[in-house]
Amino acid sequence: MLINVKEYFKPTSVQEAFELFNEDRSHSVLLAGGTTVALMKSSTIERIIDLENLGLNSIAENEDSVVAGAMVTIEDFRKNPIVQKHFGNFFFDAFSLVGSWQLRNMATIGGSIAPRLGWSDVTTCLIATGARLIVYDEQGYKNISIDEFNHTPKEKKPLITNIIFPGDGYHYSFKKFSKSTFDIAIINVAVGVKLNDDIIEDTRVVVGSRPQFPTRFSAVEEGIKGLKLDATTASIARNLTFENFEGGSNLKASVEYRQHLASMFVERALLEIREMVL
Amino acid sequence: MKLELTINGRVHSVEIDPGEMLLDVLRRLGYKSVRRSCNSASCGNCTVLMDGKPILSCTTFAARAMGHNIETVESLSEDGKLHDIQESLLETGGAQCGFCIPGFVLTTKALLEENPEPTEKEIREALNGNLCRCTGYESQIKAVLNITRKRGGHVNE
Ligand SMILES: Cc1cc2nc3c(=O)[nH]c(=O)nc-3n(C[C@H](O)[C@H](O)[C@H](O)COP(=O)(O)OP(=O)(O)OC[C@H]3O[C@@H](n4cnc5c(N)ncnc54)[C@H](O)[C@@H]3O)c2cc1C
Ligand code: FES
Ligand code: FES
Repeated sequence: MLINVKEYFKPTSVQEAFELFNEDRSHSVLLAGGTTVALMKSSTIERIIDLENLGLNSIAENEDSVVAGAMVTIEDFRKNPIVQKHFGNFFFDAFSLVGSWQLRNMATIGGSIAPRLGWSDVTTCLIATGARLIVYDEQGYKNISIDEFNHTPKEKKPLITNIIFPGDGYHYSFKKFSKSTFDIAIINVAVGVKLNDDIIEDTRVVVGSRPQFPTRFSAVEEGIKGLKLDATTASIARNLTFENFEGGSNLKASVEYRQHLASMFVERALLEIREMVL
Repeated sequence: MKLELTINGRVHSVEIDPGEMLLDVLRRLGYKSVRRSCNSASCGNCTVLMDGKPILSCTTFAARAMGHNIETVESLSEDGKLHDIQESLLETGGAQCGFCIPGFVLTTKALLEENPEPTEKEIREALNGNLCRCTGYESQIKAVLNITRKRGGHVNE
């Protein structure tokens, strides 16, 4: 329970929601699925702005992209036919490792990116697909990268309305290492590969829960571009991940442990994609 | 604030605190089958169905539930008879102290509505947010597989 909440708003437009939030940011919180908000131990939150009725809970297909509303739940997203058509089993399988069914029925895609969590499995997967955000603030709607969103100062944070996924024909694999699916990842890895026959034309290699925010490992991406997708290339990628690993230690694991895990998972992800496609 | 809540088909008009969780309101209204254990989205004991989907009432703002159908385990035994999920749990030894059973039964009900012939893997995936201190889970998986058999469906063991 948030003890000092005095007002609960259910705005019906994005503009109205943003204005309600913006007029008193220090006492307000936006509510998506609520799985983070409900557990906040804050006594300063006095106003909840519930985003349920903004019409941001559907998924549409454009010519070359998929657009998901920020309020689509993780479970609805992974089971959506449009998402499955564009991404095969990638999200269906990857997101089955996010928390529990109950939690996935509550937590949203937008609410998973917004708090900038280092360990979010959702965020790692989104970065691997090259997803961008449509956000709303005082200047209106903008299309920005997740990186730009993260670099916006807290007092200026916009409202995320949609997530846009390019439909660019990559193949994907996700690996999560944790004590249970339910637990926060010790490391998570998402790899996307674009192939021309069996040659790697382009790739995105993302490591999250390092424990810092998920990031692309460009040295690995550059190192395997133009190579054949086979066991040798996968082991080159493992070595490159090891040599170029950037991460840290915390209660869950040391940096050395994470470095080993991440390297192994990048290799396994590439082998899995080869198995799937070739 | 004043709230209208539809629980097991009945409309309740209640006064709530805007920062209050659905679990507190349900228990206050007498739906004591909804259990509180971790109070932090981790154990599944407070599971209820919202529009047929399992959610955690300890982490759902009560105000969010307005306009949705909430279902608790009380809805299953209105005619004084046990539901086949409850019966099946008793038969396999899936019910010991019983504390986790309401949440477990509701998640299972939702699973079988979405997927009447789940595989063992699908059962484990659907139920992994319902923790049980007593059983070790094998009897619960068996119970769900047994229901499929009893209902005349195909068992994907
Ligand atoms: C027990 C537990 C287990 C979990 N396990 C996993 C896991 O295995 N893997 C994983 O990836 N995650 C996991 N999660 C994390 C879950 O994904 C996060 O709680 C995530 O924040 C959920 O989003 P939400 O929709 O519930 O957000 P909310 O709690 O509603 O919001 C989170 C934050 O984002 C802000 N916000 C929400 N929507 C928007 C928006 N559209 N625009 C701007 N700001 C917004 C809110 O104001 C708030 O500050 C777990 C969480 C819990 C509690
Ligand atoms: S009491 Fe809600 S998940 Fe444990
Ligand atoms: S039967 Fe005792 S907690 Fe499950």
